[in-house]
Amino acid sequence: MTLDRRRFLQKFLAAASVLAGSRFPLPATAQRLTPVPNRGRVVAVKDARVFRGPEELAGEVVKEMLNRGLVKFTGQPDPVSAWASLFRAGERVGLKVNCIAGRGISTSVELTEAIVAGLMSAGVQPENIIIWDRTNRELARAGFRLNRNGRGVRCFGTDDELAGYENELAYAGQVGSCFSRLLTQFCDALINVPVLKDHDLAGVTAALKNYYGAIHNPNRYHDNHGDPFIADLNTSPLIRKKERLVVCDALRVQYHGGPSYKPQWLWNCHGLLIGQDPVAVDSIGYNWIEEARRQNGLPALAEEKREPTWLWTAARYGFGAADRRAIQLLEA
Amino acid sequence: MGRSRREFLQDSARAVCCLGLASCPWLGSAPLALAANENDERYVREAMYYNKLPGNRVECTLCPRECRVADVERGWCGVRENRAGKYYTLVFSRVCAAHIDPIEKKPLFHYLPGTRAFSIATAGCNIECKFCQNWEISQFRPEQVSAQYAPPEAIVRTARQYDCSTIAYTYSEPVIFYEYAYETSRVARQAGVGSVMITNGYIKKEPLLKICQVLDAIKVDFKAFTEHFYRDICRGELKPVLEALETLATLKIWLEIVVLIIPTLNDSEAEMRGLAQWIHRHLGADVPVHFTRFHPMYKIKNLPTTPVRTLERCREIAREAGLHYVYVGNVPGHEGENTYCPRCQRVVIRRIGYTIVENHLQNGHCRFCQQAIAGVWKT
Repeated sequence: MTLDRRRFLQKFLAAASVLAGSRFPLPATAQRLTPVPNRGRVVAVKDARVFRGPEELAGEVVKEMLNRGLVKFTGQPDPVSAWASLFRAGERVGLKVNCIAGRGISTSVELTEAIVAGLMSAGVQPENIIIWDRTNRELARAGFRLNRNGRGVRCFGTDDELAGYENELAYAGQVGSCFSRLLTQFCDALINVPVLKDHDLAGVTAALKNYYGAIHNPNRYHDNHGDPFIADLNTSPLIRKKERLVVCDALRVQYHGGPSYKPQWLWNCHGLLIGQDPVAVDSIGYNWIEEARRQNGLPALAEEKREPTWLWTAARYGFGAADRRAIQLLEA
Repeated sequence: MGRSRREFLQDSARAVCCLGLASCPWLGSAPLALAANENDERYVREAMYYNKLPGNRVECTLCPRECRVADVERGWCGVRENRAGKYYTLVFSRVCAAHIDPIEKKPLFHYLPGTRAFSIATAGCNIECKFCQNWEISQFRPEQVSAQYAPPEAIVRTARQYDCSTIAYTYSEPVIFYEYAYETSRVARQAGVGSVMITNGYIKKEPLLKICQVLDAIKVDFKAFTEHFYRDICRGELKPVLEALETLATLKIWLEIVVLIIPTLNDSEAEMRGLAQWIHRHLGADVPVHFTRFHPMYKIKNLPTTPVRTLERCREIAREAGLHYVYVGNVPGHEGENTYCPRCQRVVIRRIGYTIVENHLQNGHCRFCQQAIAGVWKT
């Protein structure tokens, strides 16, 4: 039997619609992605001088630590060259910090200031740097000075009327969310600046989970300890195409009782983790939390049935490395 | 989708203006504010159902999800927050949508037909239907949606001002704004205004029993008759909904059921037969059931609108199972919108869309054969 073109198309479309209708109508879970630059490479920087007192940070030491780590990571001869190898003048750079837990255990202002100084040394205009998180209130509570549209570095939350969330959903595996316009429209490049913490449900929160603060419906994605949702979210091209650097604040680490501030389980770790591979950074961070727990007589996260299995899921997606053997951990 | 979230919210806010709420005492003379997105303490009230756990954690006991929530975190619904070991609702008096609707729009066909319902919602939901038609409010957190401060007394006053017999808690999911709905219903009852809840029925028994003491009717969205549909399409569970329906059947509260029929997902004859038989066996023949038409929405945009013939077949199956009042919904002008007398089969109430064009009820009985018609009717 021969078919004319119209009949062929009719039959083809009918078959396609039957197939489409018979399947669960959601995008497939993310498949293997292109690896991030410097996959598996992480620099750990520690410096005991970083605390002036029990809580006060020495900003100049933080800056020195950051630059030392970045020089090591990039292989450049000096900090200015290191920053310039990653960021260009004219780019709009967003710093996604994490402020949910207030001043006690949020991304530190001193670290953020050090990153801003580094960006400016590479020629990025201060007005093109935006420090952001979910809400103005959380940013202010963590010690950040809001600057919505004045001169200098800008700092405001997605809830600010200047920003808001996208109207349309974007899909990434099983995640379907409206992203913050600060991520989608206000920056060309992202620096992920999480704080390393224990998390009641997800086990650990650091770089990958930090982007829960960039979507409108994070509460939908804590089931099954965040697996695969944390990994899925990070496969979004909206993130992958812009995330240029991860600087994980581990100066203080909440090794138990997170994600809120619990001073009895706070560890002055004096550390930073720097890389471009958020999976590897989180994997090392997970090791640090486990080490602190062990030293303080707490059970491993797996024993508490909250092992961060989303790490292995993220590794399976291919953009980063979670296996310690695939991670090149450098010290600076 | 035709409209963006922003357009939807603007329309909603305009609707609030149109209702005259902007001139209500509780709003003063201030212009309608669209950016009320901070977690204002006026909206914060301690939750009625939760347990305290060690380490400043809490366990919510309002819905079957039973979220265990750490300090500073929120439950799955996104509208309840743990603050230093106490659990709070963030949506008390935080109205993000307010409209005057015909009661038929809920749909409630056997509850005060032809009356008006002052219909309100807050942001949030405790499930996530991938076909949700109000996802712009149900799937967002309270601070992400423009809202108005509207305490229970103001809601009741406005309902009376606009000659609404009933306040309807609807659009999103009243279970998640439980405290607000409960308190408003309590105040409304004292003022002689009815209250109805349009819900997914995903609620635990104790809070359900309590709120039913101040409600007059409930419409439950019965999503499907399979666990896999609830799990995969709604991120919920069927069993607790069945239990809630069985609980409602034991109470003196008017109940109607809606089943949204989605092509290929919940439209098999076997499933409809099972559902209809279950309703007949557990809830009784007099519970009205509405089979309504799906339109592509939210995360399900690749399926077609439900064929009218499918809805008609569902109606036939339900009637064969012995249900007395079975309707076709979202098909204006269809004969399945009418109420038929189960004895003489004549049309007792004829509707086109939400409008009643004929009413042959006399004191709750069919005018033609005097058969009692189940429902809550005007006296």
